[in-house]
Amino acid sequence: MRSSVKLGVLAVGALAAGLSPALAASGPIKIVLAEEADLLEPCMATRSNIGRIIMENVSETLTELDVRGKKGVVPRLAESWEQTQDGSWRFHLRKGVTFSNGTTFDAKDVKHSFDRIMSDKNACESRRYFGGMKVDVKVVDDATVDFKVDPVQPILPLLMSLVTIVPEETPLEFIREPIGTGPYKLSNWTPGQQIVLSARDDYWGTKPQVTEATYLFRADPSVRAAMVQAGEADLSPSISQLDATNDKTDFSYLDSETVYMRLDHNIAPLNDVRVRKALNLAIDRQAFLGTLVPQDAVLATALVPPTTLGWNPDVKVFPYDPDGAKKLLEEAKAAGVKVDTPITIIARTANFPNVTEIMEAIQAQLQEVGFKIDLKFVEVAEHEGYYSKPFKEGRGPIIVAAMHDNSKGDPSFTMFFKYDSKGTQSGFSDPKVDDLIQKASAAVGDERAKLWSQLFAYLHDDVVADVLLFHMVGFSRVSERLDWKPTIATNSMLQLSEIGIK
Amino acid sequence: MLRFIRQRSLSSLISLIGLLVLVFFLSRLTGDPAALFLPVEASAELKQQFRELHGLNDPIMVQFGRYVGNVLTGDLGESLRKARPALDVVLEAFTWTLWLAVITMTLVAVAAIVVGALAAFRSGGFFDRFASTVSLVGASVPDFWVAIVAIVVFSVHLAWLPTSGTGSLAHWILPVAVLFVRPFGIIVQVVRGSMIGALSSAYVKTARAKGVKAGPIIFVHALRNAMLPVITVMGDQAASLLNGAVIVETIFGFPGVGKLMIDSILQRDFNVVLAAILVTALAIFLMNLLIDLAYALLDPRIRH
Repeated sequence: MRSSVKLGVLAVGALAAGLSPALAASGPIKIVLAEEADLLEPCMATRSNIGRIIMENVSETLTELDVRGKKGVVPRLAESWEQTQDGSWRFHLRKGVTFSNGTTFDAKDVKHSFDRIMSDKNACESRRYFGGMKVDVKVVDDATVDFKVDPVQPILPLLMSLVTIVPEETPLEFIREPIGTGPYKLSNWTPGQQIVLSARDDYWGTKPQVTEATYLFRADPSVRAAMVQAGEADLSPSISQLDATNDKTDFSYLDSETVYMRLDHNIAPLNDVRVRKALNLAIDRQAFLGTLVPQDAVLATALVPPTTLGWNPDVKVFPYDPDGAKKLLEEAKAAGVKVDTPITIIARTANFPNVTEIMEAIQAQLQEVGFKIDLKFVEVAEHEGYYSKPFKEGRGPIIVAAMHDNSKGDPSFTMFFKYDSKGTQSGFSDPKVDDLIQKASAAVGDERAKLWSQLFAYLHDDVVADVLLFHMVGFSRVSERLDWKPTIATNSMLQLSEIGIK
Repeated sequence: MLRFIRQRSLSSLISLIGLLVLVFFLSRLTGDPAALFLPVEASAELKQQFRELHGLNDPIMVQFGRYVGNVLTGDLGESLRKARPALDVVLEAFTWTLWLAVITMTLVAVAAIVVGALAAFRSGGFFDRFASTVSLVGASVPDFWVAIVAIVVFSVHLAWLPTSGTGSLAHWILPVAVLFVRPFGIIVQVVRGSMIGALSSAYVKTARAKGVKAGPIIFVHALRNAMLPVITVMGDQAASLLNGAVIVETIFGFPGVGKLMIDSILQRDFNVVLAAILVTALAIFLMNLLIDLAYALLDPRIRH
């Protein structure tokens, strides 16, 4: 009965679309994801399995980052913002916005949403973006709110694109039924099976074409691809490269993940810059493209993808130069560096496609120039133990192969953690790097971009901080009835309002 | 009989308690759930707070004492990941697994006994060779391969059945069919072997000499005596289905307990792991009890 009603609606919809071509088609769609959302908690939406479903669909933010155009930070629930004399930020809120429970959105909701994230009654993930800051949120009037941040935050408007707004009545503890101001509301959640979002009639913005989205979850990539092919789903944001064979439905996209090898500069021989350079010259990065790594992947010169602010086009990828690597190793050896100390590469099982083969090939290439390399694969939790501080005492020289995601458009989400002396995953300590990170984080506009560019060049060419490998690509399968292409944000967010129906 | 059940229950209870204690401590040896719940960049304070909220900062014996106290009052705790009662999460998943196991094993039992018995009756004949080959292939072929091929053939190319998921009767066909293959292969072989022994025994020869027809000889006289080893193997196979058919659940997106258990172990969601072990262990204990009772019914030597 239900399906025949749906069919009827579809038929009527199709008829209407056929009769008046000016009217865009609309209707329900099905999306198949790899991983189920275990929670639908708005303050956890920065985690991709949750964010992909609710971010900007159910829960909206004051600002958002424009990843399709290049407009930077654009208004969402805030119409405008400015920095006041004392460095705090004032946001002017959109009026006439209601939550899906009927209450009106105002400044008190913004304050509560932020205080909730910072509360000790929960472990909201988004709090991590405000580490080391003292934030005081003040309601000026219903449509104005002030954020006084110590130290002054030049990128607060960008950070606000990560803070989901919930109504004032939301308890501090984790909730299971998100209420938001977004174009959709949660209408069904059957754990293990499906999550359904339906379009709201009282949404403040443009009415989206997708009227209802059903999310299904299949861990196996070939099943996800088969489902779109068989018409059981309309969109699978991630399928495997092997299945991406139909150029009408399968699209590759730079997915904001970067594969690299973190070097521990504290332990010899990795404390020697010649050795680190030799590691870089010994690897034939180009040979991986189109073989073990997808053809469209991009060789990395920074830990953030090329769409990020301050990415430096003048930094060049290390050439494949095994003779140069051998020469550097000999020089280091002559200077008393124990270059034949066995070095261990720690990699994570199933971290990304072909990780085993890629790491084995790198091991072979490094051995070719004279390194002694052991390769060890570990599970996620053990990997984390090697990757993050505190590092184990008495360890040998260790290289951690890892994948880092930054789709946020600004390097600050990466640089402190990975390169600052105090960064949790930083393998070295360099006062100039610390200084540049601090300056760039506090700068705005062109100055900010310039400082980040400077840092990228210094890290890559002078410090030779790590072995940067590939900006990875993902593959999506999109039914031919949809008008949608994946972007660099697809990993963390999938805005239903951007999906067109042909 | 009641005494027999009581004894079995007591010994199962002891092993169940031992199992829970072992899993409680072993799971905590794997490390800190905060490291997996929160991203690598999360601050030490935030991780500390997560542990505080979930009582993971207390000494392990205090955590254990609290756990025992809660279990005795029927409270298996909350899932760290899902922010809802662990027992609810497990029972939801276990219901799917139970149905999958019951349907599959019923079909397997009927089909394997008929095919195995007929193969044994004309041992060496065409049907026997055919059945032996099929069952050997069935017992050896990897289920993930069968599952993927079945999806490609029946869902993508022929479009007869849905690829995966739940919702209608048609959704059950592929998972059950894939799960059917291996136990069917194994049990056909056991039935055949056991029946060949029974059919060559003196009482069958006597029955034949008296002119009893083939049907009653196979299904009345020989089969009942050949069933004991078959029941043992069936119990084994059913137990492995009750533990969750991880691969089939993963591929077909079936929300069963096997995938839940693996995911919870990987995410260090201790309460769900313990609840899942408790529930499946109880189910397997009940099934073993039924098997023992079936033995007793079939074999008067055990009964008396």
